[in-house]
Amino acid sequence: MEIDNKTIEQLITEKHTIALRRGFSVWPRGEFGKPPALGDFRWTADLILSTWIQAETGKPPTNGLEYRVGASGGGFDVLDFKFLPEDQWITNGNLIDTSISLNGRPYDKKIKISVPWYGGGMSYGSISDHVMLSRVRAAKEWGTYTSSGEGGYPDTIVPYKDNIITQVATGLFGVREQTIQYAPIIELKYAQGAKPGLGGHLLADKSTASVAKIRESVPWVSLFSPFPFHSVYSVEDHKKHLDWIKTINPAALLCVKVSTPTDVDMVAVGSFYAGAHILNIDGSYGSTGAAPEIAKKNIAMPVEYAIPKVHKYLVSEGIRDELIVMASGGIRTAYDIAKAIALGADGCVLGTTELVAIGCTRCSNCERGRGCPFGLTTTDPELSQLVDPDWGMRRISSVYQSFQFQLKDILRRLGLTSIRELRGRSDLLLYNKQHPSNDKYKMKKVSKPEEELRVEESVTDSVVE
Amino acid sequence: MSQGQIAEALLSSRKALVREPEKFLAREKSEAEGGCGVIGFASSVQIGGRHLLQALSQMRNRGNNKGGGIAAAGLLPEEFAVTKEVLENDYLQAIAYLDESVRSELESRFIGATFEVDHVYRVPTVEDFKSIPGLELRPPEVYLYFVRPRAGLVKEFRERHRLEGAPADMVEDEFVYQNSHRLNQSFYGADKNRAFVLSHGKNLLVLKMVGYGDDVVRYYKLEDIHAHVWIGHHRYPTKGRVWHPGGAHPFVGLNEALVHNGDFANYSSICEYLAQRNIYPLFQTDTEVSALVFDLHHRIYNYPLEYVIESLAHTTERDFVLLPRDKRRIYEMIQKTHIHGSPDGPWFFLIAQSLRKENAFRLIGITDTSMLRPQVFALQEGSASIGFAASEKQAIDATLESLAAHDPRFWGRADSYWNARGGSHSDGGAFTFTVQPNGNGATLFCADKFGRRISVNGAKKTHFEMTPQSASSQSSSGGNGFNLKKDGFLAGELFQDVTGKLATWTYNDFTGFLENVEVSALDTKDAGSAVELLTLLMDRHYPTGGLRRSSLLSLVDQSFARLVQFMKQGYFESCVYISHNGSLTSLDGLRSRSIDEQQTVVIDARGFPQEGNDSVAMNIVRLHQEGVRRFMAVHARGHRFIGTGFGPETHGVRIDVYGSSGDYLASGIDGAEIVVHGNAQDQLAQIMKDGTLVVHGDVGQAFMYGAKGGKAFVLGNAAGRPLINAVGKPRVVINGTCLDYLAESFMAGDALNNGGFVIVNGITFCKGALKGDEDGDFAELDEPYPGGNLFSLASGGAIYFRDPHEKISIDQLNGGEFAELTERDWATVKPYLVKNEKLFGIPLKRLLTVNGEELHPSRVYRKIRPSQHHALQAEEAWVTNDMDNDVTL
Repeated sequence: MEIDNKTIEQLITEKHTIALRRGFSVWPRGEFGKPPALGDFRWTADLILSTWIQAETGKPPTNGLEYRVGASGGGFDVLDFKFLPEDQWITNGNLIDTSISLNGRPYDKKIKISVPWYGGGMSYGSISDHVMLSRVRAAKEWGTYTSSGEGGYPDTIVPYKDNIITQVATGLFGVREQTIQYAPIIELKYAQGAKPGLGGHLLADKSTASVAKIRESVPWVSLFSPFPFHSVYSVEDHKKHLDWIKTINPAALLCVKVSTPTDVDMVAVGSFYAGAHILNIDGSYGSTGAAPEIAKKNIAMPVEYAIPKVHKYLVSEGIRDELIVMASGGIRTAYDIAKAIALGADGCVLGTTELVAIGCTRCSNCERGRGCPFGLTTTDPELSQLVDPDWGMRRISSVYQSFQFQLKDILRRLGLTSIRELRGRSDLLLYNKQHPSNDKYKMKKVSKPEEELRVEESVTDSVVE
Repeated sequence: MSQGQIAEALLSSRKALVREPEKFLAREKSEAEGGCGVIGFASSVQIGGRHLLQALSQMRNRGNNKGGGIAAAGLLPEEFAVTKEVLENDYLQAIAYLDESVRSELESRFIGATFEVDHVYRVPTVEDFKSIPGLELRPPEVYLYFVRPRAGLVKEFRERHRLEGAPADMVEDEFVYQNSHRLNQSFYGADKNRAFVLSHGKNLLVLKMVGYGDDVVRYYKLEDIHAHVWIGHHRYPTKGRVWHPGGAHPFVGLNEALVHNGDFANYSSICEYLAQRNIYPLFQTDTEVSALVFDLHHRIYNYPLEYVIESLAHTTERDFVLLPRDKRRIYEMIQKTHIHGSPDGPWFFLIAQSLRKENAFRLIGITDTSMLRPQVFALQEGSASIGFAASEKQAIDATLESLAAHDPRFWGRADSYWNARGGSHSDGGAFTFTVQPNGNGATLFCADKFGRRISVNGAKKTHFEMTPQSASSQSSSGGNGFNLKKDGFLAGELFQDVTGKLATWTYNDFTGFLENVEVSALDTKDAGSAVELLTLLMDRHYPTGGLRRSSLLSLVDQSFARLVQFMKQGYFESCVYISHNGSLTSLDGLRSRSIDEQQTVVIDARGFPQEGNDSVAMNIVRLHQEGVRRFMAVHARGHRFIGTGFGPETHGVRIDVYGSSGDYLASGIDGAEIVVHGNAQDQLAQIMKDGTLVVHGDVGQAFMYGAKGGKAFVLGNAAGRPLINAVGKPRVVINGTCLDYLAESFMAGDALNNGGFVIVNGITFCKGALKGDEDGDFAELDEPYPGGNLFSLASGGAIYFRDPHEKISIDQLNGGEFAELTERDWATVKPYLVKNEKLFGIPLKRLLTVNGEELHPSRVYRKIRPSQHHALQAEEAWVTNDMDNDVTL
């Protein structure tokens, strides 16, 4: 496959030449000369490359790369919008509002974010403080947030605490009253869509001395977060847990992050009554290098099923407007965000997208201490130098800019003036199993139409998932 | 007919009960729920329903107003206008009418046609349900029918189902059960909710509705209805906008009512298991299937109670291995046969039984194998005895307080409080309280799963038995010659003095002495010494001579309450009293003037909500911001989060908590000192960073989960999962033991190099099977650690066990290893044992004395350290040498 007469490998090399110009002096020599992988059917090479282009230009690519959908043959990749005829489009894009509120309750602080997303939890330990800084600086620039993950606050990110969501997860690593009091939003992570029923897991290689210091654990020992919270085995425990956080930080908004079991609607209602302001439903496409293969994509419900289920249920309970629903778990593009909202979410949570923006190729080597060739999912003091925080911030910020631009364009073409009007408008979506992106990746149906799509030829030599 | 043939015939008789069984095979629960608040008690005397009120209203935060219910067994005939014979021999059909227009149809089809009716009784209600604040739905009209099955129909039933060889009562029971099942199918279901059977056993009544459990008592005017066994329940369903009383607890089998706190993962599997036996639930909740499984095993299979409990909560792992051989054989068969009917997940059952054959009533509390729900048991034995099982100790204390205020046979403290160890070989995780009427009165018999009796030392009379006139009567002797000096006293000295003399004292001497202490406080205008003395009397263990410890403590409580009253009246300059009566006036007034740093702010918790912006915890935080450093929270009743919310660096703050403190106490403290005078609740000292926590009693589940540091001293036991995921440098002394999972994933560095550790002494003041302390002396527990999981997956820190007889074995460890106790180890832990002696009066010298001989510490304490030695991957090895940091590797 070629784009602009360049092979993918050429594009990758070019990207690294530009992006990592500061880092070559510390670049691991020899065998890491080129990235070991570039995508999979969910995150196609097209998507990765177009995210890089967006990170550089702040605009979607115009060179023919498919930047809206992947090639998974399902989920968001087979949904399209029913746009209005061009003569009914809104002409003045400036009138279009992409902001959402993070508090639908009649009480507590009103928090509005200018774009319908914030950054998902990635801990210090899973990523370096340089990557954390990149993310939170971008969040600050856009008036949104990024989640601390479960690993405490490195000193360098404390100054940005007003744009940070403190995550309280089952291992309680780095969670102190002080860190709960830092943040305007506290996220209680009950589960993760990529591995429901499993807690966080930081392998020994990544639990470096500096990571262990912040977590107050023993260095070079694998850190397991239990599942579930040992203090929460029921919905009344859940309420008590939230009450506890509220006692420590009465001004905070509370976000409950859960995976997508079949009774996710019940979880949503329970969280509402427990006092949550935000419910983050994390679907199964979400990525984490440390999740066991057997868990990934095999347990939780895909998020595109979970969102409408939760949305409809909250509507029928009469509490939809009081609980903000954020969807995550495989949200890659502006189109994914718009589709998730049309299915019933208020907004989305981005994780992998931000890492791709600063160089991730989805090689899935995240669990190793020195496994990340781009210095992202590592706290190795040498490798983490590959990411300069300001460079990372500019790239993530540019992707935000491109996403906002695209969302406005989508709304304009749907005749909507606000992203909030799109919520729950699944009538504006079209199921399109013959999505062109599938053709591009040379996937085709085998003899019987009802059978699943089969991969005929893979685009990369290292499909990891 | 053999037992098996009877059971088979009974179950096969149910085939005709449902026409389309597929319809009843629910894959999903119709409503999901997890939490709940439960309390049950059984007493040798019949107790009024009003004594449920305070306990349930203090546990409202465990429900959500969507379901409440009660069960009562062992009723008084005159309160239902029936004779004793009718009450005891007739089935009590309690029918709830949501739509009263169906009553005549229902009565003719399912009551008149099948039963001889001896009496019909409409349960009286308050006139307007809206007069009870918070009640949103009109509760059902309830009629009680005292009935006997028509002999001809029973005979026909017996013949049709070939039950000729079955005992008469079993056939009648089944006849009644099936009649109710048909009734429910006709009048209750997806498309119609008009009427259903609340209960149908003999001398057993269930009432339930949409609302809180205590509102059931209020609405149906049960305050003055008396019963031997009561159960109360708040429900917390979360799914579904429309709730029906049919989904509320309790649920019945036939002779029992069951309430439940928890959530099953295998509801569908249990439904299948029941369907294989022709049993089809109608209300689609976990609790209903639990009641059906219990009824199946107990009534149809006729299993002894022990085996019924085993089939619900299996004995597993090490506990199974430690069972006697014959038990293992039977338990294995039970487990193999009934695994699919065993509820999986967190649960705690309370069951009220009416045992007609044995002419007895029983309360049963069963906890799941993994002990995932909060549970507390208690026992008070005197001229009247009462046993409890509840979600929280505070609910038990609330009932005792309510009883003590109305009935001189009860007093404010139980003789013993304890937790069950689920699925264990030691107590089986279940306790029963059986009331056996005999002649004029009744006896209460408390036993564990294996039927072993638990009893306090009944030889000692209680203060009410000894001083019938009044506990607070004037005593001219002034406490056996204790005339306190006008200028006050030193609490520590006086405590030594008094406890030395208790052996010869009567209750009158003691009350007289307490009065003198109060007078002295008033004379000197200083509450300090008196509070200190009373606190020592509450906290410490000492020989009480011929006096019952729980009686003495309840007298001390009364004296303490009077002191608080004097504080309220402003007698003492050293303290500022704050209460809450629906508004914060007394606090607001306080803020306008400055509080002397030496002054103690005394917060009377009774009027404050248990959580939220107006809670005791939040008010303490606000007062702390105003500069207050010294707090006393008194009369706590399940108040949560006390000591949380201060933020970093709070050295110099001290909070003393009296009464029944609530969950999450001290969770997050960073420097403060918190002292709990009595047992504490669940989730204490989570993420604790620094400071000191002292608990003069037991602590509940998940103690110090994720703690980072600080010091904690616990006089009694910790329940399940203490110190899970603790990191940094927490230092903890637990004088009792833990139920299980101590220090799982403990990561607290190197114990000898600024890391953390736990010292477990494995001693108890309650010698014998859960008896109360009567001689003030402690003894070694049978096992210093009964659980099968100790220090699992731990990577840092250490545990020091007092285990001179080396009873802890390697098979209890999963990731830990025994190590020699070195001089350095002893130098590290000794200061904590010295402090422990100071706090609790447990002499270090005594701890080191084994069989009368003082031994070297290394022969008394054993060290357990992590065995995991992780081999670094090549690529990380260089970093460990290269890092500029202060972490010692």
